[in-house]
Amino acid sequence: MEPDAQLIQSCLRGDGPAWEELVRRHTRRVYNLCYRFTGNGTAAEDLTQEVFIRVYRTLGSYQAVYGAFPTWLTSVTRNMLVDHYRRTRRDRLTDSIDDAMPQLEETHSPVRSPDRQLQANELSEKLQQGLAKLSPELREAVILRDLQELEYSEIRAVLQVPEGTVKSRINRGRIELARVLSEMGVRPA
Amino acid sequence: MNWNCAITEERLTDYLDGILAPEETAAFSAHTATCAACATMLAEVNHLMSQMELVEPLDPPAHLTAKILDSTLGPREEAADWRKWFDWVPVIWQPRVGMGLATVAASVAILFHAFAPAGGRVSLADLSPASIVHSANRQVHLTYAHGVKFVNDLRVVYEIESRLGPQPAQMNAPASVPQPPPSQPSNDPHEKSGAVPHSGRRSVTGGLMAFDEPAGWPDGNTTRSLR
Repeated sequence: MEPDAQLIQSCLRGDGPAWEELVRRHTRRVYNLCYRFTGNGTAAEDLTQEVFIRVYRTLGSYQAVYGAFPTWLTSVTRNMLVDHYRRTRRDRLTDSIDDAMPQLEETHSPVRSPDRQLQANELSEKLQQGLAKLSPELREAVILRDLQELEYSEIRAVLQVPEGTVKSRINRGRIELARVLSEMGVRPA
Repeated sequence: MNWNCAITEERLTDYLDGILAPEETAAFSAHTATCAACATMLAEVNHLMSQMELVEPLDPPAHLTAKILDSTLGPREEAADWRKWFDWVPVIWQPRVGMGLATVAASVAILFHAFAPAGGRVSLADLSPASIVHSANRQVHLTYAHGVKFVNDLRVVYEIESRLGPQPAQMNAPASVPQPPPSQPSNDPHEKSGAVPHSGRRSVTGGLMAFDEPAGWPDGNTTRSLR
């Protein structure tokens, strides 16, 4: 598989198929981050599209010194999520009922047996509801670490905060999320 | 070091990552063994971590990539490969296509039954192309002969009716048709006797016109046939 850096160079020379490959390779990551943060399929879809439009326009400004392309892409996504969070703050305040019980818009269906699928969907939904109750700082830290599986250094680069702060947020985020989920019935047997 | 609940909470992730010094790990374990609240917290976070490992990445909507490419590279042409020749395949799986096919099959069965020889009982020999052509040819000629007979019968009926029956042209004559004035009765017996064939001829034409138009027959043919 061609490395991201080569694809980016091809993109900058106007190679359409290279851009297509780059989009196909990273859409899943960006969409998951957006979906887990917003808890809304339509918003996640729109945000993912916005992220790639921005990346397409600013690809020339990407340099390897910023770190690996996925980290840079995550930074762009995270900035987009911050903007989105600010934009929708008023909606959330006036729509506190929906906020208390976030509804999942669509059911995602990886191929697996119906029983396991049901359990996975239920778990995914509860996790989403729990994440929605965290503050945005803690939520993004947990998502980046535990769902996107980024290293601390990568999260530090994305969030632009010291690594100690990253760890502290992840720590508090996990404890908070575990407590919320425990109240929702997701607790050790 | 005086290990307490606050420190346990603060160092939880380091403990889970396994980066605590051995004496810190021992102190952590000793504390959670005696503190129910911290033990519960540790168990809950451990459970959360194990559950989050089970959560698989979500599949983005299938159209999302195409949407992104359209919004960045611009609308692209449809895939011009062999697959587009099979675009119609999903269409035939629709229920309405099945219903349509069932209707066509029923129609064919009815037609076949109607035109089949021996009152609809079909033998294997009837299915040979020669038999089918023969049967169809026979049916067409029979139908044509019936039609011709029907037309001829109608002609006879109209002719007899127009000569012997009531005079529809006179009965339905509009008020504006000029009638002979009653104040001038004719005493000429020839004129009186000649009135019958004259009025009869008029009534033939009028009667035919009255029947003619709904049947759709051409006027020229009718007139010619009667003359």
